[in-house]
Formats: sequence, structure tokens, C-alpha cells
Amino acid sequence: MATIGHSNINAKLVLLGDMGAGKSSLVLRFVKGQFLEFQESTIGAAFFSQTLAVNDATVKFEIWDTAGQERYHSLAPMYYRGAAAAIIVYDMTNAGSFARAKKWVQELQKQGNPNMVMALAGNKVDLEEKRSVSAEEARSYAEENGLFFMETSAKTATNVNDIFYEIAKRLPRAQPPQNPAGMVLVDRPTEAARASTCCS
Amino acid sequence: MYGTHQSGRNIPFDYQSQVISYRPSIHSRRANLTVKFQDLYGFTVEGNVDDVNVLNEVREKVRQQGRVWWALEASKGANWYLETHVSSTLKASLRFSAIANAVTLKRLIRKGIPPVWRPKVWFTLSGAAKKKSTVPESYYSDLIKATEGKVTAATKQIDHDLPRTFPGHPWLDTPQGHASLRRVLVVYSFRDSYVGYCQGLNYVAALLLLVMKTEEDAFWMLAVLLENVLVNDCYTNNLTGCHVEQRVFKDLLAKKCPKISAHLEDLEFDVSLVATEWFLCLFSKSLPSETTLRVWDILFYEGAKVLFHVALAVFKMNEDQLLLTQQVGDVINILQRTTHHLFDPDELLEVAFDKIGSMTTNTISKGRKKLEPEVMAELDERLRRLNSLKEEEN
Repeated sequence: MATIGHSNINAKLVLLGDMGAGKSSLVLRFVKGQFLEFQESTIGAAFFSQTLAVNDATVKFEIWDTAGQERYHSLAPMYYRGAAAAIIVYDMTNAGSFARAKKWVQELQKQGNPNMVMALAGNKVDLEEKRSVSAEEARSYAEENGLFFMETSAKTATNVNDIFYEIAKRLPRAQPPQNPAGMVLVDRPTEAARASTCCS
Repeated sequence: MYGTHQSGRNIPFDYQSQVISYRPSIHSRRANLTVKFQDLYGFTVEGNVDDVNVLNEVREKVRQQGRVWWALEASKGANWYLETHVSSTLKASLRFSAIANAVTLKRLIRKGIPPVWRPKVWFTLSGAAKKKSTVPESYYSDLIKATEGKVTAATKQIDHDLPRTFPGHPWLDTPQGHASLRRVLVVYSFRDSYVGYCQGLNYVAALLLLVMKTEEDAFWMLAVLLENVLVNDCYTNNLTGCHVEQRVFKDLLAKKCPKISAHLEDLEFDVSLVATEWFLCLFSKSLPSETTLRVWDILFYEGAKVLFHVALAVFKMNEDQLLLTQQVGDVINILQRTTHHLFDPDELLEVAFDKIGSMTTNTISKGRKKLEPEVMAELDERLRRLNSLKEEEN
């Protein structure tokens, strides 16, 4: 959940998507400006933070980069719970990973925070010759489902900063009071804390 | 009897030859910056000059422990540590020496098994040797032959993860290293198709290969780990066992470190956010290699309770700092900084056992039994909801 404090916004962001789609690589590119041909496989999830300045605010992203293997799915709720934004990543050279991305979108629509800003990232656009998901198909899917869409490449840095920047711009600037923000508020009802166990 | 293990595929990587005392370069001395160096098992680690000094001290301690083990073998005879189980057929006098050996052994193992002794001590004490002895001698090589060229969901995922398992390691990240790791993981995925391949096992198996030196022994260690040492269903579909362990861990944290637990709950920080990786990779992705292996020394002798001890210790060591945190990110940074720099295993293990206090395997089993129905119900409920999503779509 994003929180406001003198135009400083803290926003929890989660990356979801199939194994090997490039979630960790996108984060590494965004946070450190680096790319590794072979990125260590993520277990559970990895945490990063990065601050971005947009026109009217400073957004501090608290990023959860999750594991992609199907059986890790059961851990995902603890990472997307209370998230203000999500990037659903697929590998545009792999149609199966696009199908998985759609499942994630579906799950977030039903179970995630209703104000969540969702982005769809078709990663590995540097491998154009191996493309198996067309940009048109992904774009129209994204439009129908209220996501914004970009094709990215963690390798060449194409659209990587842009996608995070676009999320930062779209984050709601004020939160409805009945929706207590997760991370930084301490004086919330204890019920909310009790609800935050690992597998709802 | 150990000679026969060497008949398997030997691993040419020898950490002994990799042991080089680090001497800071002129540049790093001048700037006192973070430097990169190789640890006992060939992993490149980053740290400052203090970390390098700690690591050199650890090397010295490892050498001393080696001398202790050699002296014990000289006085008690080879394989003395096998004679620690009290058998009713033994005479009273022998039984006494067995108990004495068991006491010595537990203490000794908590102080660390020297790297040269690890393969045979782990292999026998963990039960891997016994497991192996129940099948024909050619079991492993037969399975390799039987699985050659087979493509399954598991083999595809394994192939995908091979270059992503400790990339840059001087042996693991070579064609030979990849091939060895592949065989161990693929053969295991066929041995237990219910587990198949679970991400995380790649790191565990890789470290087992480095320690055990032969592929076949690494395979049996993986088998005994999944089938006997760890909780059931840790790595199977839905990671049920892992969910249970996390819940047990939360309860233990509330009991052993109530202040930290309450503070983190106020921050809405779920400890599973970080502890899941610790339990699935058995700390191999977070602690320096020798520290991880010291945890595994105890794991293979005393069982999975050591994982709880160590996880609690990581929190306990940082109590004061953790209580001051206001944001989730700060909590994670503290925990990560700590685990990555725990080059001195004794620093961690002293807290894990002396400060955390005793926990019996029985306490943990009871916790599991109590929490399992709750965890299963939640997982089922979630699955039901996800399935109902699908039905709505249709």
C-alpha cells in the first residue's frame, strides 16, 4: 500500500511471473543498473528498495522479487498482500509464460489490493527473432484487464526504468482512510496484524 | 569401507588447493574498500579487511579441529564415531565407552567437522550409508543410464537452473560441474517423482557435491536429507512441509524472542518473508559456506531442529537493532547484512545454542503436529478459492 508523507510515498511492489521470465533481472537492472547472463534462481523471494523521483513526489519502492516455479505459488500471497503495485512478467519468447502471466493477473484481480497498479512486462524483447507472443495480443489483453503494458529487456535496459517510472506516476496520491496502509503505520488495529499470516 | 565410495564419479574440484591466504592489494589497503576473495570452498565473497581476517582465523580453527580429529582417531581407533549407538548386545563396559563416545561426538560436531572428514562422517552418521546399503551397488549408475535422454518437466527446470546455481564458482560453474549437478538432481527427480525437482534443491545439491567429492555420495546425502532428516513434504507440491515449518518457527520466535516477535508483528513483518529461503536452501544462499556447513554438521547428526536454533539466533543477535526498526526494508537489511557477514561460525552457533536455550526434537515435532491441520486447511481454502476463480471464468 502506498503511503503519503510530505510527498514521499512508500510503495510495496511485487514481481510475479513464470520461472526464468526475467523478474530478478528486471529488478537488478532497475536497482543496480546491471545485467547478468545467468541470474541466480530466486528462492522464496528477494527484497530490494529503490527510490524514484517523479514530478510531484519521491517514491520509495519496496520490491519483492518472487520465485517463479509453480509450487512456490502457495507462498505468493504473503508477498502481494498489501502491495500497491505489481509487475507481471512473461518471457515474450515463451507462450507458456504468457499464459501463466494471465493467471497471475486473474489472481491479483480477485485477491489483491483493489487499488493495485498493475503492469504487464513482456521481457526479453532483445530476442526479437525468437518472439512467440505478439505485442498486439499482449497489449489488447492488458487493455481489457486494466493493466498497462510494456515490452522490456533487462539485458539492453529497454523500458526497464520506464516501467517503474510509469508505476510511480500512477500510484494513487491519497489513500482512502478505511484502507490502512501496511508497512509504515504502527497504530493499526491488531486484527490486521493477525490476518497477515503466510497462506491465506 | 570408504574406499568404495571413491569408485563413483570423482569431483576434481579440491578446495584445499584453493585455500589461499588473502593479502589485500595495494589499492584495497589504501582505500580500505570492500574486497573480493575466495573462501574455503571456492566461493567468491565480498567483505572488508576485517572479514578477511575473520576468515583467516576460521581457517586456522579448522586446521586445529583437524588435529583434534586425527588425535582422536589415533587414540580411539578408526571410525570410533560409529560406535556411539548403544546396542543391547554389547557388554556393559563397551556400552559405557559408546556413551562416552556419543557425548564426545556431539560436543565435537558442534565445534565443527574438519572439511577433510566431512564426507565420511556425514555419510555414516546421517544414515546415508545405511540407505545406500539397502539397494544394489549399481543403483545410482543404473538410474543414470535409465534416465539418460529422458525429458520431463523436472529435467527442463533443472537444465534451466544449472547455470543459475552459484554462477561464477570455479568448479560448479563449469561444464563438468553442471553435468554432475544435473545427474544428481535428475536421478533424484526420478527416485521420487512426487518431489521431482524443486528450486532450492539446486543449491543444496551443489554444496553437497562440493563437500562429498563424489557424485554418488552427494546423491545419497540428498536422499537422506529429504527422506529422513527434514520434515515431510518440504519440497513437494505446494511446499506444505515448508509452510508448517514456518508456522512452527513463528511460534518459537514468539516464545524465545517475544520482544522481537511483537515488534515485527507491529510492523506487519511476516518472518516467513525471509525465513522461507533459509529453510528451503538450508542457509546455503544466505550464510558463508563454512558457516553453512557447520550448521549442516549438526543437521546431519542432531536433526532439523538446528535450523530453528540458527534462524532464531539470526534474529536474537540483532535484537537491539531490530527493535528500533520502523520499516520492513530496515528489518531485511539488518538480517541480510548479518547473515552475509557471519564468517565466524562459532559466533552464530554460540548464540544458537547458548542464548536460545535448549529445544528438543520432541518440542518441534509437537509444534508441527499441532499446526499442521491449520496450515493444511488454509492451503486447501486458498486452492478452493483459486479454483472457483477458474470456474467463474469458464
